[in-house]
Amino acid sequence: MTKVTRYPPGEIIIWLFIMAELLVFGLFFAAYAITRIDNVELFELYQKNLDTTAALYNTIALLSSSYFVIRSVIAIKADEQKNAYRWMLLAVAMGLVFIVIKTDEFSHHIDNGITLSTNTFYMFYLSLAFFHYLHVILGLVILGVLAHNMNKGMYSSKENASVETGASYWHMVDLVWLILFPLVYVM
Amino acid sequence: MSQGFTKSMARNIFYGGSMFFFLLLLVLTFDTVKSLPKTDNRENLTEQVVKGKHVWENNNCIGCHTLMGEGAYFAPELGNVYKRMGNSKEAIIAFIKFRPKNGIPGRRSMPQFNLTDDELDAVAEFLKYVSEINNQNWPPNIQG
Amino acid sequence: MKYTSQMVAKPYFIAAIALFVGQILFGVIMGMQYVVGDFLFPEIPFNVARMVHTNLLIVWLLFGFMGAAYYMVPDEAETELHSPLLAKVMFWIFLAAGVVTILGYLLVPYATLAEITMNDLLPTMGREFLEQPTIIKIGIVIVALAFLYNISMTILKGRKTVINLVLLIGLVGLAVFFLFAFYNPSNIVLDKLFWWFVVHLWVEGVWELILGSLLAYVLIKTTGVDREVIEKWLYVIIAMALITGLIGTGHHFFWIGTPGYWQWWGSIFSALEPIPFFMMTIFAFNMVNKRRRQHPNKAAVLWALGCSVMAFLGAGVWGFMHTLSFVNYYTHGSQITAAHGHMAFYGAYVMIVLAIISYAMPMLNGRKAANSMKSQVVEMWSFWLMTVSMVFITLFLTAAGILQVYLQRMNGDASLPFMVIQDKIEIFYWMREGAGIIFLIGLIVYVASFFVGRDQPEAEMPK
Repeated sequence: MTKVTRYPPGEIIIWLFIMAELLVFGLFFAAYAITRIDNVELFELYQKNLDTTAALYNTIALLSSSYFVIRSVIAIKADEQKNAYRWMLLAVAMGLVFIVIKTDEFSHHIDNGITLSTNTFYMFYLSLAFFHYLHVILGLVILGVLAHNMNKGMYSSKENASVETGASYWHMVDLVWLILFPLVYVM
Repeated sequence: MSQGFTKSMARNIFYGGSMFFFLLLLVLTFDTVKSLPKTDNRENLTEQVVKGKHVWENNNCIGCHTLMGEGAYFAPELGNVYKRMGNSKEAIIAFIKFRPKNGIPGRRSMPQFNLTDDELDAVAEFLKYVSEINNQNWPPNIQG
Repeated sequence: MKYTSQMVAKPYFIAAIALFVGQILFGVIMGMQYVVGDFLFPEIPFNVARMVHTNLLIVWLLFGFMGAAYYMVPDEAETELHSPLLAKVMFWIFLAAGVVTILGYLLVPYATLAEITMNDLLPTMGREFLEQPTIIKIGIVIVALAFLYNISMTILKGRKTVINLVLLIGLVGLAVFFLFAFYNPSNIVLDKLFWWFVVHLWVEGVWELILGSLLAYVLIKTTGVDREVIEKWLYVIIAMALITGLIGTGHHFFWIGTPGYWQWWGSIFSALEPIPFFMMTIFAFNMVNKRRRQHPNKAAVLWALGCSVMAFLGAGVWGFMHTLSFVNYYTHGSQITAAHGHMAFYGAYVMIVLAIISYAMPMLNGRKAANSMKSQVVEMWSFWLMTVSMVFITLFLTAAGILQVYLQRMNGDASLPFMVIQDKIEIFYWMREGAGIIFLIGLIVYVASFFVGRDQPEAEMPK
C-alpha cells in the first residue's frame, strides 16, 4: 500500500527563513544593546550625528510601503488584477524612497571618512543599517518581480502563494526597521 | 496559501540568498583589505621579513606550531614568541640553531633545519614583525 | 546499475579507501608522537606525519567525491558519462600525483622539496593543508577541470535534476575556491585572510552542497520518498548553509590582524551555521521514517543517518561551542580546535563518502542492490567501531583542551607554559591514542567487509 508522504505545510518553511533573518538581526540588536551598557557616553555622543529626520521619513516610507503591499494582497485575493498591480507599484515606489534617503545618509558618512572601524558605535550603526539596507534592496527586487508577474496576470484569488510569501518578507524588513530606528537613532 | 512552499520558491531563496551574502562577503572583504594598513604592521614588512616568511614556509614551521593561533598544536604558539623570549631575536635564533639533530629523548623534538645565519635572522625578524601585528589583543597572555 | 560508464567510479572508490587507510596509519603515528615526543624522530618528524595525514584526508575525500559524481551523475542525468576514458586517465594522473606528493613529503626534507619543485617561481608551499608543491597544485587544477568538464558535459546532454545541479555547483565552487591556494602574499595577514577563502569556503561552504546532494541521492534511492520533496528540502538546506556560512567565514577573522568588527559579524553568522546541519538530521530521519519501502542495503542507510547525526554534532555542536568570539579568545588554536576538526570532518565528509560507497559499491560489484547480510553486518560493525571511537577521540581532546585553555590562558599569573601543560594533560592523549587504535581496527573491519560474504546471496527486501 503506497503511503502519500505529506510534509510540513508550505508556510512553515518560509517562516524558517524569516525566523533565521530575525534571529540574525535580533542577535545584532542584542549585541548592540549589551555593548551600549559599557559605552553609554560614546554611543550617546555619536548618536547625535545621526539624521533622525531622515530616519523618520524612512519610517513613513516603509510603513506606507507595507500598507500598499497589504492592499495589493487583498486585491489579488479578490481577483482584482489591475489594482493589485498598482498597489504593488506604489509599494515599490515607497521602498525606493527609503533607498534614496538612506543612500544619501550613507554618502554623508563616507564623505566624513566614517567606516566600520571608526568606533564601536559606528561599527554597530553601519553594520545594522547597511545589512538592513541590503534587505530592503532584496525586498524591492522581490516586490518588483511580483509586480511584473501581476502585470502578466500570473496570480489570482487561487494562485497567490508567491505574493503572500513576498509580502511576508517585506513585512519582516519593515519590522526590523521599526526596531532599528528607535534602538539606534533614538534611545 | 493555495500551493504552499514550492520547490521553485526554495530554489529562488537559495540563489537569491547565496548571491546576497556572497556580495556582502565581498563588500566586507573589500573593506577589510582597505583597513589592513591600520593593523598589519606593514610599515615593518621589510625585505628581511619577507625572506623570513619564506624560511617559515619552506621549513613548514606551521606543521608543528601555531601562528596567531592557526596551524598545528604540537608545539607552542609563535605569534608572540618574540615577546615571550624577552624581546630578543638572539634568543629565537639560538633556540632554532641549537636544536639537536636527533632530538631530545622522550620529548617532543624540533628538527635541526640547518639554516644559514641569514635565514635565522630573517625568520627571527619575521616573528618579531608578527608579534607587533594588532590582532585584537590575542593571545590572552604571554604563554600563547 | 543502468549505465556501464558508472563503472569508472569503482577505481576512485578503491583509491579513496586505500588512501583513507594511509591517512589513519599516519594519524596513529601522530597520536603516538603526542605522548612519546621523539617517536620516529628524526626520520618522520611530527610535521611530516601531519602533512601526510591531512593531505591524504583531503585527497581521499576528493577521490570519493569524484567517484560519487561518476556514479551518480549518469544515473541522475539518465545518460552515459561523456568520456569514461578521460575519467580513467585522470584517475591515474591524480593517483600518481598524490603518491608522488606523499613520497616527496616522506623522503626529502620539506625545504629540499620546495627547492627541487622550484617553489620560488610561485611560492605556495608551507601553509597548512596547502603543503603541496606548486606544480602539484597546478596538476590538481588540471585534474579538477577535466573532471568538471566530463561531469558538466554529461549533465548538459541529459536530465538536469536538482541533485545533479547542486552537486555541480558544489564541485565548481570547490575548484574555483582552490584557486586562492595560488595567492600567497608576503603580508601574513592577507595570506591568512585569503587562505580561509579556500578552507572555510570549502568545508563550511561548497562542500556542504556536495554533502547535501550526496545525502539526498542516497535517501531517494534507499527510501523511495518523492523526489520533489527531497529536492525542495535540499534547496532549503544548502540555502541555509551559504546564508550562514558565507559571512560565517568571519569567525576565522577574529585574531589574525583583521578589523574588530569581524568579532560581531563572524560570531553572529557562524552561530547559525549549525542550522543546515540540524536540518540535515531532521531531513534524513524524516525521509527514512516516511519511507515507502525497506531497502535491502541497510548499511548505506545507517551511514546516511549516522552522517547526519555526526555532522550535526561535530560540525554543528562542537563548532558552536567555540565559535563565539568571547569564547574563542580563550580556545583559539587549542585542543578544542582539534576536537571539533576531527569530529566535523569525520561526521560530515568521511561518512557521506562512506555512505555513497556503501550504496554504490555492491552494484559496481555486480549485485542488484545490496551486499549479502553477512557483508553488511561486518560493515555495520565497522560503522559503530569508527563512529564510537571518533566520539571518544573528540571527548578526550575536548577534555585536554579545556584543561589546556584553563591552565595556559585563564590562570592569571599562574598560567603555565605550553610544553608544561602538554605534559600535564598526557593522560588524555594516551586515551585518545587508544581510541585512535580502535578507529583503525574499525577501518580494518570496514575493508574486510568488502571481502566477506561475497559468495553469499544478497540481502532481500522483506516481503
